Amino acid sequence: MGDSQYSFSLTTFRSQLSLSLSLSLSAETYRQDDFKWVSVPCSPSGKLVQIEHALTAVGSGQTSLGIKASNGVVIATEKKLPSILVDETSVQKIQALTPNIGVVYSGMGPDFRVLVRKSRKQAQQYYLLYKETIPVTQLVRETAAVMQEFTQSGGVRPFGVSLLIAGYDDNGPQLYQVDPSGSYFSWKASAMGKNVSNAKTFLEKRYTEDMELDDAIHTAILTLKEGYEGQISSNNIEIGIIRSDREFRVLSPAEIKDFLEEVE
Amino acid sequence: MTGSMDLPAKGGFDFDLCRRNNMLEKNGLKLPGFLKTGTTIVGLVFQDGVVLGADTRATEGPIVADKNCEKIHFMAPNIYCCGAGTAADTEAVTDMVSSQLQLHRYATGRESRVITALTLLKSHLFRYQGHVSAALVLGGVDCTGPHLHTVYPHGSTDTLPFATMGSGSLAAMSVFESRFKEGLTREEGIELVSDAIRAGIFNDLGSGSNVDVCVITKGKTEYLRNHQLPNPRTYASSKGFSFTKGQTEVLSTKIIPLKQKVEVAEGGDAMEE
Repeated sequence: MGDSQYSFSLTTFRSQLSLSLSLSLSAETYRQDDFKWVSVPCSPSGKLVQIEHALTAVGSGQTSLGIKASNGVVIATEKKLPSILVDETSVQKIQALTPNIGVVYSGMGPDFRVLVRKSRKQAQQYYLLYKETIPVTQLVRETAAVMQEFTQSGGVRPFGVSLLIAGYDDNGPQLYQVDPSGSYFSWKASAMGKNVSNAKTFLEKRYTEDMELDDAIHTAILTLKEGYEGQISSNNIEIGIIRSDREFRVLSPAEIKDFLEEVE
Repeated sequence: MTGSMDLPAKGGFDFDLCRRNNMLEKNGLKLPGFLKTGTTIVGLVFQDGVVLGADTRATEGPIVADKNCEKIHFMAPNIYCCGAGTAADTEAVTDMVSSQLQLHRYATGRESRVITALTLLKSHLFRYQGHVSAALVLGGVDCTGPHLHTVYPHGSTDTLPFATMGSGSLAAMSVFESRFKEGLTREEGIELVSDAIRAGIFNDLGSGSNVDVCVITKGKTEYLRNHQLPNPRTYASSKGFSFTKGQTEVLSTKIIPLKQKVEVAEGGDAMEE
């Protein structure tokens, strides 16, 4: 990975090793003392502590979920803002990576932005090289590779986000989850963030193989509602869908309102 | 550290192979030419937007390499670019800028502007000091209105109501200069562009074959590929050829029987599994 700004010589590594293992990181911010060689050595148990911490950051992020229907995919997330003064139209948690692939996250917003930027660039480079729009699996693989790089390079930390990538290509509708470690899984329905266990149980009960996209959207809203503290409305959730027309789009608040009314 | 000597870092292009090429040429090697597009490309601004036009012949010296190539390249849904000069250069540079515009659209959430495409192109061409031989006619409609620009290989640009580029530009410009006026309608614009391209096709050797037209208006782009085909191919015979025996005079006959090389051995062991 070429854009690491910190390159340490081997001599400093040894003296800093014991210190880095005992760094305790809070879920909100990664407290990095200046110029600590925060590489990701294996602990004796075989776990990578940094990645555990990153997963904790994800686990305390706002709930997000995705459902793969027979004719499309829906991804959704809570959009709880820190204060009523924040302009909610300026916050966009669900982003398009290509015209037919969208992504949502749980965890640290700034890390998400960096990944979105990188993934978009990779999709363009793939097109320039192969003159084929990037298939969903390829983009997932390349994004996961970027996330893995950051777990094995010097002077960087793993990304504190898990991504849910939704796309529709020649292999039909697909939903992938990518973790800070760089591992990825294909899901029929999945959730991440604060309310993950309740949400997953709810989804397990409600999911059917031949669900249509509109049912999936209703199910997604109900799942979000389950764990939502407060009143759910069209301004504090975000929903992105992709149908068989292969155009990923984020629903407008008016459209969300219609779906909410149908659910109630 | 053993191994090669570390050469001082040289910026930009590496011209070492030019000496080798000069030596080869002196020794009689004929260097391959590159595919130029010869070309007539034009553009004009009409009342609702921009019309771009191009011929479809790609030449390699005196040979027509592609009789129906596409010279109007996609930059953005609302911006198209005609390319003259070296075909590889125009393709590569328009693809690259098209990709950059897509990334910019994602980052900003807005439609691309023609001036953005123009600046990206001219910065790239200037950086390569004219070695990227791409002469372009860039046109599109964005939130600030319709725009038409020409870009020269060294990186200079013009903003014009009507423009022509390529080897057929003089022929096409004569048509524009006599008939262009402000506020043309869509049909008049397409007709004027087609006439200008046809002037290039028939009067310039580097241009030929068909007329491609692209009409860009606010919210809609129509790419009329092969809008006119003024050079239909006439094949020798639609029924094909028939050569009956006896039409060709036989001068001599020589028959060589092929020796049979295959020997079948009777018996023998079957192959082991």
